Amino acid sequence: MRLPPVLRLVVRNFTSNLDPISITIRFGQPVVTIVVLGTMFSSIISSSVTNGTSYTAFLVPGMVAFQMITGGVISGNLFWLDRRWAMTEQIFSGPFLRSEYLGGLVLTTLLFSLVGVGVMMLVGLPFIGIAALSPLGVGTVLLTVALGSIFFAGLLITLGTRLRSANAYFSIQSFLQLFVIFLSTVYYPISASTPKVLAVIFYGNPLTYAANTIRDAFAGTLGGSALEGLGILAALALVMFVAAVGAFRTLELGPIQ
Amino acid sequence: MPPPNDLVLESRDLGYSYAPGRFAIRHLSLGLHRGEVLGLLGRNGAGKTTTVRLLTTLLPPTEGTATILGYDLRTGGRALRSRLGVVLQSESLDFVSLERNLTLYAFLWGVPREVAKSRAEEMIELFELDHARKRKPWALSGGERRRFQVARELMHEMEILFLDEPTVGLDAISRRRILRYLRERAKQGLSIVFTTHILHEADLLCDRIAILHLGRLLALDTAESLKLRYGGNREVSMVFTTPVPPPLRAEFASALHGRGAVLLDAEPGAAEATNRLALRAEHTEELLPWLSQWVQAHSLEFERMSVEEATLEGAFLGMIGEDAAEEDSRTSRDDSPEREALRQTGGELT
Repeated sequence: MRLPPVLRLVVRNFTSNLDPISITIRFGQPVVTIVVLGTMFSSIISSSVTNGTSYTAFLVPGMVAFQMITGGVISGNLFWLDRRWAMTEQIFSGPFLRSEYLGGLVLTTLLFSLVGVGVMMLVGLPFIGIAALSPLGVGTVLLTVALGSIFFAGLLITLGTRLRSANAYFSIQSFLQLFVIFLSTVYYPISASTPKVLAVIFYGNPLTYAANTIRDAFAGTLGGSALEGLGILAALALVMFVAAVGAFRTLELGPIQ
Repeated sequence: MPPPNDLVLESRDLGYSYAPGRFAIRHLSLGLHRGEVLGLLGRNGAGKTTTVRLLTTLLPPTEGTATILGYDLRTGGRALRSRLGVVLQSESLDFVSLERNLTLYAFLWGVPREVAKSRAEEMIELFELDHARKRKPWALSGGERRRFQVARELMHEMEILFLDEPTVGLDAISRRRILRYLRERAKQGLSIVFTTHILHEADLLCDRIAILHLGRLLALDTAESLKLRYGGNREVSMVFTTPVPPPLRAEFASALHGRGAVLLDAEPGAAEATNRLALRAEHTEELLPWLSQWVQAHSLEFERMSVEEATLEGAFLGMIGEDAAEEDSRTSRDDSPEREALRQTGGELT
């Protein structure tokens, strides 16, 4: 049976360019964060700071949200390597549309993110329990991560279409990752004592909305703010996807370094 | 030569400009018949790669039209590309073993698994890659990578194959093997567009040759016709069993009557009489019977005689002209239009 072009590209994305070591590190890093950081900091961070839960339980939804960055980064790297090794050009000279190639990247991102969500849930559940996670909650978590993944994949792919140097691409990607993770509510909540400037930056960061929505889903307190978070994420994902489509339409092929 | 109605590719005044009024290719009108091998020759920056990229839809034409396999080049899209094969100048690789690269590429093209496996074996054997089948791309030598590029493209069916300098970095044996295989495929009906800098290779493989210079098509004809038209004079060398005295040399020079030019080392009046007479002539077909008669008439006897064949290189140099070297130094400057085109199109303009 001949698969549709997008699925053939997804299979190819999974087969090529993704080495087991880097995948293990990408999924392993948040697992280590939950186990090591969560356990160690639980004893020194008061539960009053983390809305009455242990720091580990606070951290798990953050690490689930973090998977949208993992997926986005994998997608961006795949695209960058394809460009660097002229596979983008080779694929475009074959029976594929640019939109299918982009669709293949986004689908790969989603699959990676969702696998990541599964891994984080498996690791995190012993720490937080499953009682409050309803089917609606699971759906919300998956939708949140999916929207966030599309946002970050779109962002990094757009970046990848405009840069011609590996050094520049990977430096900017590392900086963005660091900036987005630490200036969000993944590791710590926004409270009354959070400096105003920092709070504004936190709320300008899509990862904050993702982490907060997923926390609400885990706590069984889904409501208006979760819906608002999802709406913002959906809008941002749409904007970045459209930007990636536009960047692809004008993508200059040829050698890069 | 195939019948004229068997065209699989026809372009009319095709052009690509990377900025208003600045063309990388202009007025490109050519045709390709089924089963024909068309060579694109030209110096660096002539527009060979741009032509390949235009004809494979990687670059959008900014003027002119082209029909390929019945599709309009501008709108053919996927349907057109699915009937083409393209080996680009830049190396493209997936980070899996060479063998997996072949089957993965076939999978991308929708080739059934069993067909892909047997074809991969065929290609590995044909391109002498058996020793490297489990190696990752970075562990392959330059020549192996190039052979792999061609092998990979032959994993799927196609009607036209575009090869942009496929034999760069290959040893003579590998090159000959690939050319022979391509010739065979052409006999089976595959049309091939082939760019190269190795003129002898084009002479061996191509049915017709298009010579590009600074983005324009200078000539499109068979190698033989190009040699005949632009190959210039051939050298005829005669060595006799006895010396040719100066008066006889002088008589020879005047008897030539514009049929050719006596070469300097055997000019009349040379200090020593030698056994050799040499000349350059354009039409050796008419000259040779005359020479034979003249030698007999003067009781000379050939020890040996040779006629240097016209080469494609001679024709190429004859067309492009000696002053091209000057143009080259001008166009290879970083601010030249060709360099600018390279930046704009993101490709090698060769």
